[in-house]
Amino acid sequence: MSNAAVGAVYEHIINEVISAVRIDFEEAGVDEAALDELKKNWQRKLSALNIAQFPWDPKPEAANVVQQHAPVAIPNTPQNVAAPPQQHASYTQATLSPPQHHQQTPQPLTLPGGNVQQQQQGTNGVHIKTEPGVPQQPKQDPPQPIIKQEPGTAPQNPNAHPAYPGPARGMAAQRAAQALESQYGARAAASISAIHHGMGSQMNNNPAGQPVQPHQQQQQQMYHQQQGQHAQRPPQQGQQQIPQQQLNAQQQYRQGVAAQMMQQRMQQQQHQHQQQANGGQNALHAAQTDGPTDDSAFDAVLMQRGPDGKPVNMGRVEIDNILHSQLAARAKQMEGGGLMLPLKEATKTRNLPSKRPKETGASQVDGPDDDDLKDEEVDEDAINSDLDDPEDENIVDEDDDELPHMMLCMYDKVQRVKNKWKCTLKDGVLTVNGREYVFHKATGEYEW
Amino acid sequence: MANNATTYYDLYRHSSIGQMLTDALDDLIGEERIDPQLAMKVLTQFDRVITEVLNEKVKARLSFKGSLDTYRFCDEVWTFMIKNVTFKLDNGGTSVTADKVKIVSCSAKKPDDK
Repeated sequence: MSNAAVGAVYEHIINEVISAVRIDFEEAGVDEAALDELKKNWQRKLSALNIAQFPWDPKPEAANVVQQHAPVAIPNTPQNVAAPPQQHASYTQATLSPPQHHQQTPQPLTLPGGNVQQQQQGTNGVHIKTEPGVPQQPKQDPPQPIIKQEPGTAPQNPNAHPAYPGPARGMAAQRAAQALESQYGARAAASISAIHHGMGSQMNNNPAGQPVQPHQQQQQQMYHQQQGQHAQRPPQQGQQQIPQQQLNAQQQYRQGVAAQMMQQRMQQQQHQHQQQANGGQNALHAAQTDGPTDDSAFDAVLMQRGPDGKPVNMGRVEIDNILHSQLAARAKQMEGGGLMLPLKEATKTRNLPSKRPKETGASQVDGPDDDDLKDEEVDEDAINSDLDDPEDENIVDEDDDELPHMMLCMYDKVQRVKNKWKCTLKDGVLTVNGREYVFHKATGEYEW
Repeated sequence: MANNATTYYDLYRHSSIGQMLTDALDDLIGEERIDPQLAMKVLTQFDRVITEVLNEKVKARLSFKGSLDTYRFCDEVWTFMIKNVTFKLDNGGTSVTADKVKIVSCSAKKPDDK
């Protein structure tokens, strides 16, 4: 059967075409990947037609072998991908997505060195100059001025240790978040939220709800100093060693900073209230910068102001309702508010906004209503489809289902004697019954 | 078409392999990876290559019988609609039947004149 030759012939054609147009691609400045993709797509589409056995297709036997071997090859992946939830918590997503991990995790870890950079990038001279005298001035970037004072205190601490395990981690995370935000803006939102995540859980250990408590202020000051000194010391000791007059200047300023820090934290704490329940001393939380863990207690993507002014998580149903009303409004906008419609359709669409919220009311707890969206899409189509003939589409579909029986070729000779025809054809491609044949020469005899 | 010394029919673009090439090119154009002019160049190359390959590499022979339903000869192109057709393939002697086949055939004599 000449069908067997089709694969080889087609492969030959493909290879020759690809190599012939390579220079055209280069001249057009198109990268070679596009050419490769063209070839792969071409072969894949041909294979999908199932018109012949192609050399690039895996042989049926080969496919079986692959399937048998597959379970052996896979086991490495489930460990990473399908880790059980408990395991997941300690894994953190950072382990699962190396690129972000690499990019962002170093921030908290190498903070003492990184501070200088931050300072150089972000400080404007005014902040530093006025710092001692204007302690209450609102600061965008609290850590920076503190470091300015670092040289005075630094020599007191010979034992530098970057990984201070106490509240400094919160600071580090805070700074990492700020750095991320300034550098990457909205794109880093997920990472920042993850950092806040860790901080929120850390806050669990502090007496919550008393942000300006003296003890906490001290703590804040302490770790500000210690960060500057790269120190790992108990707080009391650190405070005693600092000269008094310097301390006063710093203290004034730091009170402002600390208060602001606490305020920020309290906000985050509020948002991630549930997260605290998980118990936050896991240090890996702070290192996770690539989004919240999968088992996080987040169950809302949008917030709205409640009657008491506090942000309230919006449920799926509410969000759906918002989306539906917006979609309906947009659809209405496109159709000119219903003016250009047949009365029947216009009234139908006009009902949409009022009907939808009732339909998707509290009874629906299984996610967004897929039917509604589909209905809407169908409606939009129907509006514009007055000129479309649905029967045409059916005919096209029938043709698409099966390849048309067709022979494309050249003719050498076509003869007719009365109603008897004879023809000699060459160099043809024949598609019949879903199979494809190529021929060099063909003779046909038929009667009219 | 007549910019080269030899021109080739583009009828093979309607074959399955040509259709799939067109589809693949359309995908690339849709992704704005290539521009349509480049796609046309590819198709022109395809016209040449498939004609040459079918002429040089394929040795199979084929004969078929049936009843002619419609014939048309226009612009040097024969079009036949044949019903109840039986194809006999030389090697192996297997036969394939179909109730309806459309044959589009260009002149083998002077493809350059087209």
